[in-house]
Amino acid sequence: MPSDTSKAVIPIQVIDEPQAHEKRHVHEVYDQIASHFSSTRYKPWPVVANFLQSIPTGWVGLDSGTGNGKYLPLPANRSGETWTIGLDRSQNLLRIAMNANYGDTNCIREVVLGDAIETCWRVSAFDYAISIATIHHFSTKERRERAVQSLLQTLSPSHGRALIYVWAIEQDALSKRSIPISEQSSPGHGEDVFVPWVLSKQQDKSASDSAPERRVHHRYYHMFEKGELRDLICGAAHGMGLTVGSPREGLGPVADGMRQKIRGLEIVEDSWERSNYYIELRLWEVEAPDS
Amino acid sequence: MVRLITHNLLACHVKGCTTNNFPLVFQDAQVEIHEAEFNEDFIRGFMPKIEWKALVDSARQLGDTSLPEEQPEMADDDFLKTLHHVLLEMHIEEGAMVCQNCGHVYPISNGIPNMLLAEHEIG
Repeated sequence: MPSDTSKAVIPIQVIDEPQAHEKRHVHEVYDQIASHFSSTRYKPWPVVANFLQSIPTGWVGLDSGTGNGKYLPLPANRSGETWTIGLDRSQNLLRIAMNANYGDTNCIREVVLGDAIETCWRVSAFDYAISIATIHHFSTKERRERAVQSLLQTLSPSHGRALIYVWAIEQDALSKRSIPISEQSSPGHGEDVFVPWVLSKQQDKSASDSAPERRVHHRYYHMFEKGELRDLICGAAHGMGLTVGSPREGLGPVADGMRQKIRGLEIVEDSWERSNYYIELRLWEVEAPDS
Repeated sequence: MVRLITHNLLACHVKGCTTNNFPLVFQDAQVEIHEAEFNEDFIRGFMPKIEWKALVDSARQLGDTSLPEEQPEMADDDFLKTLHHVLLEMHIEEGAMVCQNCGHVYPISNGIPNMLLAEHEIG
């Protein structure tokens, strides 16, 4: 049991209308905790850093749910060879992200105020995308699937690559969190929870003199269970008419000798790391040969 | 920040607005120039992905007429540096971007474009 009960994760059921729920328990919370949150989120996760390191020179990417923009300056040793544009729902986090630095590079970042469930980009605009700890803030399966589809639509269908991270019910032994399983939960569907963020008066820039010593903000998360992220991505891909698998699977028999382009999505990595599930994927396009 | 590199990728996404929704047209744009490090390999790699006419027209709206109407086949050093300047050194700090099709206005404030829609506008 955590010694401080104000930090315990609380199982919930989303009963409000989903957008209203996310506004109150995701968007408003991040705007309020932005500067304190950002001061605790400065270390890039190695899997994300390696993914960004593997991106070819000249590629442009989207960080959907960029938060404080800590991934925007990466890879630090290849500064300026690729460009990642950050999108987030929190204006206060974007103000921090704009000046995100790594080492001594002093460069202004590109950031856009927007929602990860919408596509404010021309189709196939990006060569790569990352979605790190973002999709778990959408409060229904349908909305999480739409967020994945929005991400896929912004990618080049022939070579687009993406890395998606979400929080897992299965927490690391070192994690301070343990995820209670509610009685209403059903297997395969994850768990809806509030994760408290405790903000002291000193850390809260908007606090008035009469404010209480500390305030607890409840952030909504959908904690994923094993296999759920894969199912979500495959469902999103099928909904867009993509073949899931390697490009070889696009080369089936072709009706009437018609040449046609077949598009697909290949999952190249599906893992758990430090209390998160992540999937790396790539899109492909093959022209079916004449039969 | 909104620079022309980002502007060349943004499109209007109001429900039902699917044709002529790119590029967004600048309105009352306040431009600041900030030098950025020139990376030739990046510019060369990004060139084929640019919507050229949109970039040329948008740069002209901002008062920069340095780009040719047609994207040159051979890119020399001078051209790449001009392109670098247009894509990465002109920052639109205040103003708005307007959709030519549906008229939706996306405000830009403190260098951050606001692409959020009202609930009834979401597709």
